Order: sequence, then structure tokens, then C-alpha cells
Amino acid sequence: MTRRMRLVLAALCALMIAPAVVAVIGRMPAFGHHPLPYGDAINRTTVAQRHVTNMVSAVNFDYRAFDTLGEELMLVAAVTGTLVLLRGRRGESLSDRAAQAGERPVCERSEAVTLACRLFFPIIVTFGIYVIMHAQLTPGGGFQGGAIIASGTLLLYLGESYRLWRRLVHSLLFDMMEATGAIVLVLCGLGPMLRGAAFLENVLPLGQTGALICGGIILVENAGVALAVTAGFILLLVEFLEETRATRDGGGS
Amino acid sequence: MIALLVPMFLLVAATGAGVVLAREPRRQALAIAVNGVALSLLFVALRAPDVAYSEIAVGTALVPLMFLSVLVSLKTDRPKS
Repeated sequence: MTRRMRLVLAALCALMIAPAVVAVIGRMPAFGHHPLPYGDAINRTTVAQRHVTNMVSAVNFDYRAFDTLGEELMLVAAVTGTLVLLRGRRGESLSDRAAQAGERPVCERSEAVTLACRLFFPIIVTFGIYVIMHAQLTPGGGFQGGAIIASGTLLLYLGESYRLWRRLVHSLLFDMMEATGAIVLVLCGLGPMLRGAAFLENVLPLGQTGALICGGIILVENAGVALAVTAGFILLLVEFLEETRATRDGGGS
Repeated sequence: MIALLVPMFLLVAATGAGVVLAREPRRQALAIAVNGVALSLLFVALRAPDVAYSEIAVGTALVPLMFLSVLVSLKTDRPKS
């Protein structure tokens, strides 16, 4: 199909959709106004009901914890699928050993880069842990903190070497961490049922509003999400980078 | 508020166009990062700090880093001709 034909086709499609788009835009509520009562209700009642000050965490890890459970299991399934696909070709036995890059010379790191990475790695990881621990009080939480820690570990690769990064970021450890995260979430659901409460019901003591430990089950579930997300992203990074290196036995590309 | 939002929307549109128009993979990865910063600024202006956090952690840091580190490995892997 020529460029001209594509443009004509695109213009025709745009013309056909245009009336519907205009109609929808005309019916939309004014900017910043919404007819939904749910958010306002959460803002009104959550501090008293759950003793937490971050409403998003209260919704994610308590009121709609069922959705988060599904989401996390989906994430674990997606990461597992990717690992099976990528590791399958290399083989399980090689997964905890750094792959070789064949004839490629090792990139020399400049001292400035190494210094910057050594300085910033602990700061970024600490910040990630801070974000995870304050999920119930301030914006952030297990997902955001996990992503921060996972990207922070790349600094080890950037500043030191691939081999060292792979030795510290051990696949087996993060495999187990990933599974632990999923198990913690499922236990958050099943645990309350032992006491006769509903699946995922918040039965733990709520603590004092504004304290670091408050919100009951929100804390536990947040920790589970943090474990699963940190390990999941780190494993993805490991497998993607490993994929670009030839294995010691000469396989791979 | 609106005075702040209009330039934010324009910034997101401009950086989004930058992602589409960048053809070189390494530039694309950086364009995604810049677009992520613009988006998270917009989310902060719309008072959604949690979403802004996710956007900056995933869209600005993790995904471009993943792309860049893999691209670097691929680039240097190629035999010199």
C-alpha cells in the first residue's frame, strides 16, 4: 500500500469516527467535575475507618484488595511466563551464572561513573524502602518502591561489572522472593477466614492514625506487593540482559 | 489551575509526538523517559501523586533503563565490520 493510499484511508476512517467523537465530547461532564460518589465517600470515611492517611493505599490494599490480589497474581504469572520463555532456551542450570559475551571486550568504567553509582545505589535503595514503608501515610507504596529498588540495582551493572551485578542479583533469591510475595497476598486473603471473617477482611489491629504501623492488613499486603514487584522487575532485567549475551557453551546469540 | 494545566497538556502532547517521531532506538528510549517526566508533572498538577510516582518509577526510570541497557549490549555485541 502506498503512502498516499494510507493517508486517504486514514482520513476516511477519521471522518467516519468524527461524529461519534464529537457527540461523546459534547456529553462529557465539565473538566474536574465527576458524577461519581465513591471517591468522595472514601475521602470522608477512610481516616476514621482504617486509620491511614493515604486513601489510594486504603483502596488498593483493603477496600478493593481483591483487585490487587488478581493484579499481583497476573504480574507473577506474566513474569513467570517470560522467565520460562527466555530461560527455556538457555536452560535452568545456567540461570544463576552470568552469561559470557563471547569475544566482546569488557567495557572499562570510568572512575567518575563507578563513584557516582556507588554513592547513589544505597541512596536509591533506601529511598525505595522508604517509599514502601510509608505506603499507608504518604503517596507511594509497594509497587512504586519496588520499581525504584529494581532500577537502582542496575547501577551495580553500570558502575561495576555485569559479572558482579549477576553475582549480587542472584536469580534463585529473587525467584523465591517473587513466590513469597504472591504467597503473602494469598495468605492475606485466607488468613482472616481462619477467624471466621470474610476473604481479605481487615482483622488486624488498626493502630494509631499517622503512626508508621497502622492500617492492619494494609501493611501486610503492601509488603507482599513490594516483594513481588521488586523481584519481578529485577528478574525481568536479569533475563533481558542475559538474553543479549552468548552462553558459555556457545549457544544463544 | 487551568493556567497551569494547559501548558502541561501541551508539554505531554509535544513529548508524546517526540516519542513517535524519534526513529533511532536509543533516542526513542530517552524520548519515552522525557514523556514520562511530562506525564508525571501533569499527574501532580491533577493532584494524583500516587499515579505520578508510578509513572516516574516505571515510565521514566525502569522501562528506558531496560531498553538502554539491552540496546548497549546489542550494539557492542555486533562484530566490527
